[in-house]
Order: sequence, then C-alpha cells, then structure tokens
Amino acid sequence: MWAAGSEAKVLYVQTHGTADPGRSATPFFLAAAAAAMEFEAMIYFTMYGPTLLRRDVVDHIGPKGEKGQPLRYFIEQATGLGVRLLVCQPSLELNDLRLPDLIDGVEMIGGAAFNDLAVSADAVISF
Amino acid sequence: MVATNRVAASATRTASKGDVVPEPTVPVADQVLDCRGLACPLPVVKTAQAIKTLALGQVLELLATDPGVEPDMRAWTSRTHNELLDVSKQADVFHILIRRAR
Repeated sequence: MWAAGSEAKVLYVQTHGTADPGRSATPFFLAAAAAAMEFEAMIYFTMYGPTLLRRDVVDHIGPKGEKGQPLRYFIEQATGLGVRLLVCQPSLELNDLRLPDLIDGVEMIGGAAFNDLAVSADAVISF
Repeated sequence: MVATNRVAASATRTASKGDVVPEPTVPVADQVLDCRGLACPLPVVKTAQAIKTLALGQVLELLATDPGVEPDMRAWTSRTHNELLDVSKQADVFHILIRRAR
C-alpha cells in the first residue's frame, strides 16, 4: 500500500478515542508534518481510535475543547497533504460503527495489511 | 540551537587593499510567508505549500514565532532537498530564508 519512491514512510497508530480529546489531534499534527516533508504518512485507527473519525463527532470535539479548533480542522490539514486514514473491521465493531458512519475517505484494511505496512515502514509510531 | 547559517560568505572582505567591500548580505526573498503566531505544524505545512509556488532558484522568506521553527526548518529543508540559506531572529520573530532547489 505504500507508494514506491517516497523519501520515507511513517505509520502512526491511534488507539485513543473520543473519551480522551487531549490525545485526539497529535497524530494528525505529526502526520501532516511528515507529509509536508514529502514523507508518506498513514494513520491506523484501532481500539477506540475509530471513534475520532465519526462524521457526527469531528465537528464537536477537539484537543482543547471549546478553546481551540475542532478535530475536523486537524484531520483535513493532514488529509489535504495526502495523509491516508485506515481502520479495520474488528475495531469498528468494538465501537458499534460501520464505515459509512465515518468521514469520507477512510480506508478499510485488515490485520495482514497492517502488519505488511508496519514491517515495510521506516517508522511506526503508536499513541 | 543558535542561528549561525549566514550564507553570504565574508570571502569578499579579503578583496585587494583599498577596495570598498560591501557588507555581506543575505539574498533578497522573492516571496514572504508570514507564519507569525502559528504553531507547529503550520509553519512547516505552509512552507511546503508555498515553496511549490516559487520557481527553482527563487527564495522564500518565512517569518515565524513558533519557538521550534529553526530545528523544524533544518529538518524540512534537509529532507526535501531545498536549501536553507539563513536563519536570523529579530525580537521574537525568526526570519528563515530558503531557496527552492528542487
């Protein structure tokens, strides 16, 4: 799934969800910076992570609550630079979600694809 | 990290005696990108977008107050193979000159 020829490949893993807004935005910041460096960057949402991508949530939470930008701002900053967002089916089921409940553009993968991305990345960073 | 990357080398100071040697100058920017007040990762993101609007060889001047911007732009220019020409700080504002090299 990595494109050939990128300068470097970084896979971020987000396990935290809406219960902890302070942990919601940093993977998007770092992935955006990676993409700006012409790295290829993806964020894999597992455990509670997929709840951050709910289309009915992204405008209503943010890392600093009412005092800062909503999560959608940070998501679009990253995706606008080419960062790809990945989920897998079991973690959607864990959170009683289906892919259409999430914002557009999220890609479904499975455990094998995740492991393949991980071993072929230059770095895997887990939150 | 201290801003040290003055590029306009002072080699011209050693011109033959009696010549008037101009003060070393940094290149004039072709475009200024004002990121004052913006926090990480916006200066990096906006620089990456802005540099693509320049022709090869042209110079971007980034103005930023993010305290991490100097190491960030050293990393960014190194990784993207653009040229960091100069970093200076006036009051709280970093002035970072970058030549588009690819």
